[in-house]
Amino acid sequence: MSTPTTDPTATPRTARSVLARVGSLGPLLGLIAVALLATALNPDFASFANVSNVLTRAAFIGIIAVGATFVIISGGIDLSVGSLAALTAGTVILIMNALAPSLGSGVPTVMVGMLVALVVGALAGLAHGTLITRGRIEPFIVTLGTLGIFRAVLTYLSQGGSITLDLKLSDTYSPVYYGSVLGIPVPILVFVAVALLGGLVLNRTRYGRYVQAIGSNEQVARYAAIDVTRVKILTYVVQGVCVALATILYVPRLGSASPSTGLLWELEAIAAVIIGGTALRGGAGRVWGTVVGAVLLVTIENMLNLTNIISVYLNAAVQGVVIILVAFFQRGRR
Amino acid sequence: MRNDVHAAFREVGKRFGAVEVLRDVTFEIARGEVHALIGENGAGKSTLMKMLAGYHEPTTGHVEVDGQPVTLRSSRDAEALGVVLIHQEFNLAEDLTVAQNVFLGHEPGRGLVDDAEMVRRTREALALVDVRLDPRTRVRDLSVPQKQLVEIAKALSRRARLLVMDEPTASLTLSETRTLLDLIRRLRGEGVTVLYVSHKLEEVKAVADRVTVLRDGRLVTTRAAQDLSPHEMANLMVGRELTDMFPGKAEPGSEVALSVRDLDVPGFAGGVNFDVRRGEVLGFAGLVGAGRTEAFEGLLGLRRRSVGRVERDGRPVRIRSAGDAARHGVVYLSEDRKGKGLLVDMPLRPNLTLMTLERYARPLLDPRAEQRALERAAKEYGVRTGRLDVPASALSGGNQQKLVLGRILEVDPRVVILDEPTRGVDVGAKRDIYHLVHRLAAGGRAVVVISSEMPELLGLCHRILVMREGRVVGELSGDGLTEQDVIRLATGLTREEGASHVHTHH
Amino acid sequence: MKHITYTLLVSMALGVSGALAQGKQVIGVSIPSADHGWTGGVVYHANEAKKALEKQYPNATIIVKTAKDATEQANQIQDLYTVNKINTLVILPYESAPLTAPVANLKKQGVYTVVVDRGLTDASAQDAYVAGDNPGFGKVAAQYMGKEMGGKGNVVILRGIPTVIDNQRVDAFEAALKAQYPGVKVLDKKFGNWNRDDAFKVMQDYLTRFPKIDAVWASDDDMAVGVLRAIQQAKRTDVKLVLGGAGMKEMIKRVMDGNDKLIRANVTYPPSMIADAMKLAVAARVAGKAMPKSTIIPSVLVTKSNASKFYYPNSPF
Repeated sequence: MSTPTTDPTATPRTARSVLARVGSLGPLLGLIAVALLATALNPDFASFANVSNVLTRAAFIGIIAVGATFVIISGGIDLSVGSLAALTAGTVILIMNALAPSLGSGVPTVMVGMLVALVVGALAGLAHGTLITRGRIEPFIVTLGTLGIFRAVLTYLSQGGSITLDLKLSDTYSPVYYGSVLGIPVPILVFVAVALLGGLVLNRTRYGRYVQAIGSNEQVARYAAIDVTRVKILTYVVQGVCVALATILYVPRLGSASPSTGLLWELEAIAAVIIGGTALRGGAGRVWGTVVGAVLLVTIENMLNLTNIISVYLNAAVQGVVIILVAFFQRGRR
Repeated sequence: MRNDVHAAFREVGKRFGAVEVLRDVTFEIARGEVHALIGENGAGKSTLMKMLAGYHEPTTGHVEVDGQPVTLRSSRDAEALGVVLIHQEFNLAEDLTVAQNVFLGHEPGRGLVDDAEMVRRTREALALVDVRLDPRTRVRDLSVPQKQLVEIAKALSRRARLLVMDEPTASLTLSETRTLLDLIRRLRGEGVTVLYVSHKLEEVKAVADRVTVLRDGRLVTTRAAQDLSPHEMANLMVGRELTDMFPGKAEPGSEVALSVRDLDVPGFAGGVNFDVRRGEVLGFAGLVGAGRTEAFEGLLGLRRRSVGRVERDGRPVRIRSAGDAARHGVVYLSEDRKGKGLLVDMPLRPNLTLMTLERYARPLLDPRAEQRALERAAKEYGVRTGRLDVPASALSGGNQQKLVLGRILEVDPRVVILDEPTRGVDVGAKRDIYHLVHRLAAGGRAVVVISSEMPELLGLCHRILVMREGRVVGELSGDGLTEQDVIRLATGLTREEGASHVHTHH
Repeated sequence: MKHITYTLLVSMALGVSGALAQGKQVIGVSIPSADHGWTGGVVYHANEAKKALEKQYPNATIIVKTAKDATEQANQIQDLYTVNKINTLVILPYESAPLTAPVANLKKQGVYTVVVDRGLTDASAQDAYVAGDNPGFGKVAAQYMGKEMGGKGNVVILRGIPTVIDNQRVDAFEAALKAQYPGVKVLDKKFGNWNRDDAFKVMQDYLTRFPKIDAVWASDDDMAVGVLRAIQQAKRTDVKLVLGGAGMKEMIKRVMDGNDKLIRANVTYPPSMIADAMKLAVAARVAGKAMPKSTIIPSVLVTKSNASKFYYPNSPF
């Protein structure tokens, strides 16, 4: 086959690449459009309190979705994040409650709880990664399995009810969700930090490059002397740690975990990643897009709650339409 | 000279956006001839043949079929006029049967598909190309040459009178190629016209009646094949005299750089032993399927294998992965560029630096340093492209290969294993790669070349090991080697005694 | 239709004890698995009732099975019949429609069928029906809130999941307000999915949108937890009353203790209705009598004065 020296469809810098550039900004433009619309419908939308509510809510899914960005770019998928969040939350609360009598209801107990969350998340990721790489099982299957397992264990631990954090511990812990620094709620700060770190790791470290290479073509990566197994396992560990971070922020919000905690978070996280412009088949993606995607999803929900123009029965439909529209404007990039 | 024109290009030009890929091309294809179309990658062959087959429309000028100007908007339009393109990477649905493929989109029967009829007519079509095959076989289970024949049968069953064949022998062995060329001659005898696009000039010489040469989107000449030698064809393609395809061979050193004993790759190769010295180019010859690629993938730990002993510069080493190999200065270039070599969707920069990222991590990767490395490497390895910020898929085959070569050489290896280094690469890039191999050897590196192209092995290597059915069956060295020597060993035909430079392994 | 009070019902069930045993009774109990608080309570009460009843009636064997969806439940009751040879089935169907035919099939084979909470689409498939009072649930809530608010003010509603049950409750709530307390204005009603997190978000947005909210009908105790947190976070003092529902033990405790200014009452929709149904069924079967065709367990207002009667400290719910 004789291919022209330069791909003719990629060369002209003019009209096409401007369109492509606009397309790649799709999610951001979508977010701006939704925000403008929401403000027009209810000026309260743009109030500081509401914006900070929206961003705080987006933090959970957003942080998880940053991890999911890595997994998806590497060509994998993790369906278990919502269940893992629930299990982690339950485990952390039980352990903190158990420690409270001996260790007191102060900061040390909460610190131990946070550490436990990170360990649980990382171990779950390690298990996923190991089963997927060394066990050679499809990530879809592995994480579909653990999706059920994690939630069932939590349901067992809670006996179908809810696991509730001691009131005193709850007071110690609550600034992690309800507190703010310079007027900005803590979850938003953590979200921003995770996103910045994620972007840096993806684009400016060897690990990030390897993740992209593996997602683009695993065989090529293997032949190029990359330790594919290690990089992939690490990717699921990153996802687990992100889930743990989100859970650490989540626990003080309601101070409880129940079988409905984190329900369908996996779909929201994956949706945020894909809306953000990461290819579901792997290889290429970006963290900032994921952040925008997560905020966009929450914003739509918020807008619908703040207005009454559309029947509440249609909430999900509005979200669906926006997701498809954003994807539509990005389609040229494939 | 026949004067019955089957198809013609009249002052045809084509632009993709701002890029002009063809300009003012005029030539005729006579009815019942084999007309070869040759040119370097990027010369416009591909665009031209796709115009004839209805995949592209010309920007200027027009295409004629049977003396009539035609507008071909799709391959269906072309098919209706009896013009069918046979793709290099076949256009077959792997999970359907041969019969289902042959009749894909033209299934006989009203409402329900008439399977019996389909099978019967497929059998007839397969008979046309002289292949005995159950039409109910799934395409996935066919060999590459069988798939090719199915493609041709499919075209003929649709009453194709003009076959456009794109690099039909790219993945065929020598004898398979011979069979195909015979078939093409037979089809010509039955009045079928063939437009034959190929890099392999010996084949063109062997099968074509006339040859059209393209260069940089323009027509160079159309001439009778008998008036041109392969060498002259190459010169016409590149537009200059290609005198020094192969540089001279420098004297190899005496120290063994890599020594391998008792390499077994279950199912593919067994008992493979060899030494390669510094400054030496060691060739591995054999038929497709002889186990050469698998043996080296096994050596690098990319396949399940067992190995007795591996020594680098006389010291025993353990290589269990490509990473281990790279640490010991051994790198491998895969024969499968798109599948195992190149990240086609990614830009050139990460492709080049994939194996040497630690060099740019301080501790964050420094994209500017990477970019400088890319600019340097593009010069050093002769990657010719307008812009460096394009995805790797935008490069021609030759430039892609140079890029992947650049990646493994950036490691600064001591032993370089090149598997089919010039596959799908045009003449100019081939020459560049041969010179690069020479430079590597002259610089004291050991080079192993696995190749199915005899002239390449003979022109490059100090020594050639021949593999057959997973075993090393002979070693050839010295000047005056001929292709026949290699082929005799590779095919297992008995060899007359007397050639002193041939050592058969037992 | 027969209305009886909760306490009367329980004493009646227990009162039949010692009646003549009519041979061996095998009772299958099929309920949804514990996937949220209320169903968690159902599982708890079913198992407690099994222990108590088996002690009380030595001839009765009770098999409790949980299912995670309607399909599994349909298979399960088939197994209960063929494998465990039950002659009585007490079922709290996951969904009404898909389980109607399987239950009807068992009835045809001679199994006595008692359906709890969610009536089958074909009422002839059930020998007896025991259910909570959904319209009553909404009506009692509205009457209490209207009275507490002094007949005027703004209320927001958090609904559950779009279902018949939810519609019945909300419709009855609004109808009762309109009839008795027209001065109370419903600002909006949105779905909180009987879920703490969703309720938290919906309440946050209500608080952003409405500068003055006097009372919140959270309509479920899980949702009330989220609502309380959102109010707390926004530091809003205009909200004077939050009414949950269904009788989660933590909420009942607060009502009992009387320390929470916002949580002063609850409306029952007790998961223990499964236990009531089991008791009624066993008592009737052992006595060889038929159960009343329909038994409605009323939704009761719980206040400080009667809260201790509804407090099950060992239940997960």
